[in-house]
Amino acid sequence: MGRAVFLVMIALATGTAAAAEAPTRDEYVPRLEAICKPDALATERVSKGAKADIRAERFAVAARKFAKATAIYSSTVKRMGAVPRPEGDEAKLGKWFAYLERQVSYLKQITAKLRQDDPIQAQRLTARFIHNGNLANNVVLAFGFDYCSFKFSRYG
Amino acid sequence: MTRWATAAGVAAAVLAAAVSVGVLTGAARGERTQRGEVIVSLDGGISPLKLPRDHLAPLAIHLSGDIRTADGSLLPRVTRIEIGLPVQGAVSTRGLPKCPARRLRNTKPPQALAACGGALIGRGNLTAKVFLPEQGPFEIHARLLLFNSRVDGYRGVVLQAYSSEPPIVVVLPFTLRHRRGTFGRVLVADLPKDLGPRPRLASFEMTLFRRYRYRGESRSYLNASCPIPPRLTAGFLTLARAAYTLSDGRQIGVEITRGCRGA
Repeated sequence: MGRAVFLVMIALATGTAAAAEAPTRDEYVPRLEAICKPDALATERVSKGAKADIRAERFAVAARKFAKATAIYSSTVKRMGAVPRPEGDEAKLGKWFAYLERQVSYLKQITAKLRQDDPIQAQRLTARFIHNGNLANNVVLAFGFDYCSFKFSRYG
Repeated sequence: MTRWATAAGVAAAVLAAAVSVGVLTGAARGERTQRGEVIVSLDGGISPLKLPRDHLAPLAIHLSGDIRTADGSLLPRVTRIEIGLPVQGAVSTRGLPKCPARRLRNTKPPQALAACGGALIGRGNLTAKVFLPEQGPFEIHARLLLFNSRVDGYRGVVLQAYSSEPPIVVVLPFTLRHRRGTFGRVLVADLPKDLGPRPRLASFEMTLFRRYRYRGESRSYLNASCPIPPRLTAGFLTLARAAYTLSDGRQIGVEITRGCRGA
């Protein structure tokens, strides 16, 4: 009996702490933007000229740029995922993070296809990458993200 | 007019009609961005879709956008509009007549076309919502004509918005600026204070297209290529960006990417 009461008290205390940790949406957005901004700018820097490289059939060079962009984005998504999410937005953000994970996967696949000198598959994956990015943006439209939202113009 | 120009003109008209149907039915709204309660959207396309891979060719660009509020509240007042066009395209104005803004003031579209038809580079429509105290908002639907011009010593575009009900003519000069980045050519217009605080931009759609001859050579106001390797049949163009500065200083922008096919 005593042990059960103790466990209930622990559970209540944990729940209260978690609720206290959960930020509001207004607090959550700047926290994520602070993670995304330097990474988005770094992505622009490392991707510079990637599209021109593809045009000129320098696929290995483009692959190296995409690989760097993928590493940055993968790390960004991981750090974003670690930030506690606002109560009531969990489902929406869960859906958004699923899209973001898919974006990481597309970037990895595009990089691999460029390395394999297969621009046709890379192009098909790019179409999906753009479409998925726009879907991701629509899920969190009301959050008003800037640097955390998908913009294809960042990729070279 | 050459046969090619006729075909391109028809293609531009079909594109405009197709997108207009989309706008009227509310089918496609394109990409969206939200800041606070303000949501902006942008949609658009090019015609023809098939462009040369290694050199520029004439094309038409159609853009449509709107501004709304998530909660249906009063639309914000826009103080500056910027339309960014991709750096891989080219705007050609050599030999194209220019239309100074003063020629368009207090003119209806037929008079504007009579005065500046040679400089016409696009057409469109605009909707503004007017909010008057103690009255429900009403909409103004205006026809847009866009003319090649020189604004403050720079290449630019003068936009004439004409509404017959109520009768209003607004002449808005855009300067064509060059910036670094993907959208390297930007049409910028500051909305004049004399428009007053009441009318709020709600939506627009426009098609930019103009073929003309200069020194025996056929030219186009807008030109682009679809620069893709020979192995690919299609590519992507980061087509346009619409950015608005609101009266409270906030900025909100949205960009669109569209496909092209290599000829």
